Amino acid sequence: MADAAMHGHDHHKRSFFVRWFMSTNHKDIGVLYLFTAGLVGLISVAFTVYMRMELMHPGVQYMCMEGTHLLPTTVDQCTPNGHLWNVIVTAHGILMMFFVVIPALFGGFGNYFMPLMIGAPDMAFPRMNNLSYWLYVAGTALAIASVLAPGGNGQAGSGVGWVLYPPLSNREDGFSLDLALFAVHLSGASSILGAINIITTFLNMRAPGMTMHKVPLFPWSIFVTAWLILLSLPVLAGAITMLITDRNFDTAFFKPEFGGDPILYQHILWFFGHPEVYIIVIPAFGIISHVIATFAKKPIFGYLPMVYAMVGIGVLGFVVWAHHMYTVGMSLTQQSYFMLATMVIAVPTGIKVFSWIATMWGGSVEFKTPMLFAFGFLFLFTVGGVTGIVLSQAPVDRVYHDTYYVVAHFHYVMSLGAVYGIFAGIYYWIGKMSGRQYPEWAGKLHFFLMFIGSNLTFFPQHFLGRQGMPRRYIDYPDAFAYWNYLSSIGAMISFASFLLFLGIVFYTLFAGKRVTQNNYWNEYADSLEWTLPSPPPEHTFEQLPKREDWDRSPAH
Amino acid sequence: MPYEWHPPAEETQRLHLWPHRSLGQRGFVWFIGLTAILIAVPLAAVIGSQVLWALLPFLGGALWAIWAALRKNGRDRDILEVLTLAPEQISLSRHGPHGRRQDWQANPHWVRVDLHPTGGPVPQYLTLRGANRDVELGAFLTEGERAALAGELRARLAALR
Repeated sequence: MADAAMHGHDHHKRSFFVRWFMSTNHKDIGVLYLFTAGLVGLISVAFTVYMRMELMHPGVQYMCMEGTHLLPTTVDQCTPNGHLWNVIVTAHGILMMFFVVIPALFGGFGNYFMPLMIGAPDMAFPRMNNLSYWLYVAGTALAIASVLAPGGNGQAGSGVGWVLYPPLSNREDGFSLDLALFAVHLSGASSILGAINIITTFLNMRAPGMTMHKVPLFPWSIFVTAWLILLSLPVLAGAITMLITDRNFDTAFFKPEFGGDPILYQHILWFFGHPEVYIIVIPAFGIISHVIATFAKKPIFGYLPMVYAMVGIGVLGFVVWAHHMYTVGMSLTQQSYFMLATMVIAVPTGIKVFSWIATMWGGSVEFKTPMLFAFGFLFLFTVGGVTGIVLSQAPVDRVYHDTYYVVAHFHYVMSLGAVYGIFAGIYYWIGKMSGRQYPEWAGKLHFFLMFIGSNLTFFPQHFLGRQGMPRRYIDYPDAFAYWNYLSSIGAMISFASFLLFLGIVFYTLFAGKRVTQNNYWNEYADSLEWTLPSPPPEHTFEQLPKREDWDRSPAH
Repeated sequence: MPYEWHPPAEETQRLHLWPHRSLGQRGFVWFIGLTAILIAVPLAAVIGSQVLWALLPFLGGALWAIWAALRKNGRDRDILEVLTLAPEQISLSRHGPHGRRQDWQANPHWVRVDLHPTGGPVPQYLTLRGANRDVELGAFLTEGERAALAGELRARLAALR
């Protein structure tokens, strides 16, 4: 029999090393994810700034065979180093797709707030959670090592693009690309383990009475994301395993000269790749829903349609993959199907956008920093969605394919959509996580700098695309100079805003005003994390929460 | 409500207690079924090629992993406490997790029901004292449930005596 134990288990304070390196606590691991993603984000953003410096003026001034410059040289003293350019484009893509946005939104906020919001004491498998995090760190290290390792063209790094298409990826010399492949593998393993953990936690550890139709929208978004990861990342793991064996063990899955099919790689890559973009953005949907409800001081409009719109977006994401590859020679029927299926995604997305607007309708909207970022998200994500509808048209896509129009489109949905979601989440919850509040004026300054900067960066790229400027080149003819110059100015402003953001975060952590209330916003921030002190204690909800703490039936 | 009084058989009353689990058998079947269907979609694009065989182990592995994880989590929380009240004997047995079994018997006339609002591992810690031993009851329930259960148990014990 379980003998009674009248002495509660007491906790001794953990040392720094034990707390942060051997952590099994979901909140600590969430914080680790956020900081690591921030660091990798800084590296990845530095790459983009260098690229935009290079593209600021026609001709090559920085990335020369004679040497890589931080200050411009004259064009006649510089032989363009296309390989370096390709390496930086590839590294930016791989880092952002696998090592920045997913770890921040899914690993960071998902780990920290999903268990809190459903009233679970921790994740279902805390030690596996720790393993996920360290696999992610190991993957990041490999990805960065791949930039420095011997690669193609007798130089360091590999420049095949983040999609790693064969035959290019089969022919790249050196072991740099193998490191990149293993990096993606580790990131995939980390995400799959994380997803299994999150799915199990969400399904089996919700508070009593919290049925699926009563779970707040953020845990729902994390659950849908985890499910997408579970369904799509094994496909990627299979694809890159075949690439690794093709490169190293003389198999011929994707080698046409031995009867393989490189187009099949594109199919399975995009079968993963399209859900991937929803994996990136759906957690942002969850955050934005909470932020808008809080600062419009109204419960979210249309809770159930919001939930099923996320599920619908997730499911539809699996049946539209070939719209990334209209030009590979599919039949007319296939193209028509993928075109129509892609346009259908506008329906659930529209449900979400209109529900957010309806939430604000008649509400008492308060423009705190998280709400500004939510507004930015709403507007910019919609712009990106609309250009997505344009690109979904197979005939139109033939014109826009591989132009800057595509670059503008996916940066509007991901760089401006998902990343605004991350910032909204950080400003919304930093007081909860750290116990200190950010200075409001600085947050607003960050928002306006970033809003101006990122729009100035990416909006002109629509024009460049329409003028016919192709993606992925180090140089361009003079005719494209005007908008490229403006775009680069925008990138500098965005970078300045990012540095300001890092400053705000560290100021807040060390000198921000202390938060004394559990809920420092208002009563419309009504999920369970707001019933806890700021910062929450090490162990939360070891006792199941009371139903009246979270069940606000008028809300839905 | 994760505790339940079973209808009394003659003079014996039985109480079952178990930890809350939000995923039922039906939910498990639905989730695994939908996952299996959706994860099979990409196979349509690679039918008739060797790539199919290279993908299958990864897809099967993912399906197995989520199955095993949900089952393991279920087993870890697979605890059932059975309290039997009869005029001559009160007995408590705790089954699981992982096939463990613990038993305790005492005479109902000497059993004391204690509810410790503080000081225990959980608030409103419910213990039974008898046969020279303190045993816990329903440590996995919510505070409110334990408090309510203590009242019910005292009433039934009083009726039994």
